[in-house]
Amino acid sequence: MDGLIIGLDLCDAYTRICCHDREKSWSIPTVICKKKDEEAWYIGEEAYAYTLVGEGIIVDKLIKMVRKDGTATLGGTKYEGLDLLKLFLKKIIKLPMEEFFCEEIKELVITMQKVDTKLMDALMYCADSLGIEREKVHIISHTEGFVYYVLSQKKEVWGNQVGVFDLSEDSFHYHELKVQRGLRKMMVIAEHEALEESFNLDILDTPSGGKLADKILSSCADRLLQKKLFSSVFLTGKGFERHDWAKDSMKVLCSRKKVYMEPELFARGAAFKGMDYLQDNSAYPFVCICDGHLHSTVSLRVLHKERESQLVVAAAGDNWYEAKSSVDLIVDKQDYVEFMVTPMDPKQKRMVKIPLEGFPNRPDRTTRLGISFGFLDEKTMAVVLKDKGFGELFPATDTVIRQEVML
Amino acid sequence: MSLILCRQEPVKRPFYFEYLGVRIFSSQELCYVIYNHPLLVLDGFVDESLLEFIREDLDMAFFAAKLEKWQKSGEEEDELLAMILHECDYYSAVEVGRFRQQLAAFRRLPQSELLKQKADFLFQKNQYGKAVSIYIRILDMARTDRGSDSFTAKVYHNLGAAFARLFLMDKACRAYEKSYDLVNNEEVLKKICHLSQWNPSVTPGERFMSLITEELKEVCKEERAVANENAGKAKSLLELENLFQKDPIKRFHGAGELVSKWKKEYRNIMS
Repeated sequence: MDGLIIGLDLCDAYTRICCHDREKSWSIPTVICKKKDEEAWYIGEEAYAYTLVGEGIIVDKLIKMVRKDGTATLGGTKYEGLDLLKLFLKKIIKLPMEEFFCEEIKELVITMQKVDTKLMDALMYCADSLGIEREKVHIISHTEGFVYYVLSQKKEVWGNQVGVFDLSEDSFHYHELKVQRGLRKMMVIAEHEALEESFNLDILDTPSGGKLADKILSSCADRLLQKKLFSSVFLTGKGFERHDWAKDSMKVLCSRKKVYMEPELFARGAAFKGMDYLQDNSAYPFVCICDGHLHSTVSLRVLHKERESQLVVAAAGDNWYEAKSSVDLIVDKQDYVEFMVTPMDPKQKRMVKIPLEGFPNRPDRTTRLGISFGFLDEKTMAVVLKDKGFGELFPATDTVIRQEVML
Repeated sequence: MSLILCRQEPVKRPFYFEYLGVRIFSSQELCYVIYNHPLLVLDGFVDESLLEFIREDLDMAFFAAKLEKWQKSGEEEDELLAMILHECDYYSAVEVGRFRQQLAAFRRLPQSELLKQKADFLFQKNQYGKAVSIYIRILDMARTDRGSDSFTAKVYHNLGAAFARLFLMDKACRAYEKSYDLVNNEEVLKKICHLSQWNPSVTPGERFMSLITEELKEVCKEERAVANENAGKAKSLLELENLFQKDPIKRFHGAGELVSKWKKEYRNIMS
């Protein structure tokens, strides 16, 4: 293979990295340490080791730090969270590159529990400074990573509902997907729930703690899996690296369904998605409705070749961070732009009108309107309407309308 | 009511439309110019430079080849214009039909009348230099082709107005005099009077000096006073005053833009 297709599961506690078509994977704590007397950086277990012998200063919770624009002072120097994340990513990406003697990254798909614009922008900035082209970097939610992982398995694994319990040091999450076979296209609807019953993994070290954890898991499994037909259930996260504590839960989980342990489920799913980016025709011909994807289709009614049609500017299932587009339209006898927002339930279809306030009065069809769309999250569309004039016949003005539309 | 989807056009070298002194950057602008200025595109508009613009910049090579073929086969130029309108999807079929009818109506006009309409249109668009050359072309035509005295007087009158807008007052005065000679219109005489009052170096011919009465001079004086007062309230003057009330950076930037606009307008007027 010419380059690596990397799947990276980035969490505040642990980060997992793997490559498509390669068995070896790495799971290391998301921490970085700087040696006290020199400009040397270490990550993961090595970072703990230097800190324990008193030679280094460690920083953890890097994701949280970036989200909060936090800083850390190491050896008298103040570092931005973003810079530390960049150093951490540089080190962790080096692991597969050195292992597989490969210097090129074909695709890097990062999967995270919660994706927001700030973190996405930060990760893109990190990619820039690491010399990885933005087109090769994609950020997806854990739920989407789960979808890609599951749908890369045999059909019997995802014939009915599929669930995954993700038990990590700082959280307990449940994701579920269902494949709906439509007339035209398959649709995958995946949801996730942060379980309130999360617990510290240290309790697993004692028999009484293990029993308590087992009780918690079995009651969650009972609540979440009942009255639904499951094909399989996956267990992932640090908490399931050993499962001797979960004897009763296993009975509930294994009832009439298969249970799989997959520690790098999200990272593997991300790598599958990375592989798919390189294909001309997707191996996953489905619309994916999940975290990080749009749940509604946004369209505009336009005139083309004297016929009215709906111009889809963003479709349900599109990754909201990557769903950016712009189009030029000519306004004919109307002083507004109207979007049609169609959710999954077409009965809830609605129109959103944005008046062209402040636009100059010109003869019909002599205002070119530049419309740019982007998304701030999966429920908020940002629209920018710009007066582009009509060449030198009717020069453009500085009139710009910016509006957020709730989907 | 609608929003028309625009084609993506990689225009690197815009098409320069000399009559209006504007550059055209898209197929929509091209259609707009054709549809709204039929008199200016009647003859010789579809030439090699336009075909190159359509082929290279609008990325419509197939259509350009089609136009070229039609042109070589001696097809009417009007039909080529209608084809452009039809192809660019900016005007509806009904509108293109209306345009065809308009062209046909123009083609039925005598040559002198068609030229006058074209020159008058250019005058309305402040293209005085170009209007003057067409008025002169009409006056150079044989008397039989030119039309009645009344028509010629109108041409001289409009020529005088165009000269006046070009600040060629002597020439303007002579044109007005010829117009008056043909039809003895009092309004033309008033304009001669205005010219001489506005610019003392302009001396009407002796015959006109005697025709301009004291009463007419007084009327002209009053009209000029009203015009001066109105000019003081002009929107452009207010805009200028507003500009000079802005901070130095914005004022400087705005003044730069304004001067560039004036220069462009002046070049168009004079060319």
